[in-house]
Amino acid sequence: MASNPKLEQAYLAHRPRLLRFLAARGAGDAAEDLLQELWLRLARAADSEAAANLAYMMRAADRLMIDRYRARRQEALREQAWSEAQPGLAEDIAPSPDAERSIAARQHVTRVEQALAALGERPARIFRRHRIDGLAQRDIAAELGISISTVESDLRRAYRAVADLRRTLDEV
Amino acid sequence: MNPDPSIREEAIRWAARVSDPEFGDWDDFTAWLEGDPAHAEAYDTVQFALDEAASLLEAAPGVPDVASAPANDNPPPPLAGRRWAWIGTAIAASLVLVATFLLWPGARGEADYATAPGETRLIALSDGSTITLGGGSRIAIAGEGKRKARLEAGQALFTIRHDARDPFVLAVGSETLVDAGTVFDVRMNADGLDLAVSEGAVVVNPAAQALRVDAGRKAVLAAGSYTVMPVDPDEVGEWSRGRITFRDAGPAEVAAELSRATGIAFEAGSAGSAVRLSGSIALDQVRADPRSLEPILGMKVRRDGGVWVISAQ
Repeated sequence: MASNPKLEQAYLAHRPRLLRFLAARGAGDAAEDLLQELWLRLARAADSEAAANLAYMMRAADRLMIDRYRARRQEALREQAWSEAQPGLAEDIAPSPDAERSIAARQHVTRVEQALAALGERPARIFRRHRIDGLAQRDIAAELGISISTVESDLRRAYRAVADLRRTLDEV
Repeated sequence: MNPDPSIREEAIRWAARVSDPEFGDWDDFTAWLEGDPAHAEAYDTVQFALDEAASLLEAAPGVPDVASAPANDNPPPPLAGRRWAWIGTAIAASLVLVATFLLWPGARGEADYATAPGETRLIALSDGSTITLGGGSRIAIAGEGKRKARLEAGQALFTIRHDARDPFVLAVGSETLVDAGTVFDVRMNADGLDLAVSEGAVVVNPAAQALRVDAGRKAVLAAGSYTVMPVDPDEVGEWSRGRITFRDAGPAEVAAELSRATGIAFEAGSAGSAVRLSGSIALDQVRADPRSLEPILGMKVRRDGGVWVISAQ
């Protein structure tokens, strides 16, 4: 997993832009540290040719920040679960946690599906094709025989519905 | 959490643009982020919700695909089917760590706990100790006041309230581990076991070799004998916090560990089976997209039927 010179060169050339992006992306003072973490990810990329591309690096930086945000949220959830798990707080014990959990999971999937279905068939389909199957918006437009701007606007509606759902759950 | 509606709308617009693989307008995106720290926060909130929704939908078992046209038109990837049915549960478990409370069945009775791959369970003992049971694992815990347990499969992280007069005793196969004030992680594998200690110490087989393993040390049992080596205490039990770190591990070991931790089936391919892998992996990321392992491991990860194959090519 030694890094290749071309990748290293490209990284050094793009370093200031990446640093600026990470700082703006919420890293603040930790931007230098995160840049180091980003470099480790890039150096381990399966395709170092592709990784030497600015767009690839920026996307990897964006992903790094998304992962950090998720880790923070999950840590908070775990701490909450932990404090709720302290003996004494729940003397009379959880009723069948397995059943409760799988019900909660199914409810959440159902809510996401309903939120998307409420927009109609096309936005829901575009959401899946783009976000799960990883198709480019241009390819989805070709597949459905519609314009790219229609794909974009449907996608925004789907994103809004999903973000709204998450916010509603956070407020409970 | 509740940004200005216009910022939120802009964040959604950017998320829709950036998520396109062909997106290239990073300078404008950076400029937007620099405009206000609330922009990055709003964007993170949106991306988090999107990743979560996508991973839930992808893993949802057997639900009709409300978005898809009839089956003749672009069938969804082969995710439906029974072998995937439990993954929804696994992912849910990763979203909310479920606490299990120990109901002592009786003075002499044992309580048995088992987890599915991808599931994590927190077991709170009546003395204030806790055991976090990893995915695909099984443990039997003795009745109240006994301070005994037997790990029967998989991995668990023990945070034991120490009592010198009544130490906690863990049986693992034919091995006996005795706590001496402790946070420790035990993982069973084909060769034997790994014991890693992050606080206090554990004594292995006090009646035989009485090997003391202190904090920051790891004892590996293979072919009947123990080797002790240093370990970063922060990495001990990190799987319970959603991360796994590999150092010079073979692809088969990585695949087995990931399958147990995520509930997603991984296998090592024939190409590159001699490669040694190192890297630190966020499990949520793997659950959301198994292919995200590629840059971390420097290996190819491709889907073959219901299994993800990790290989050099």
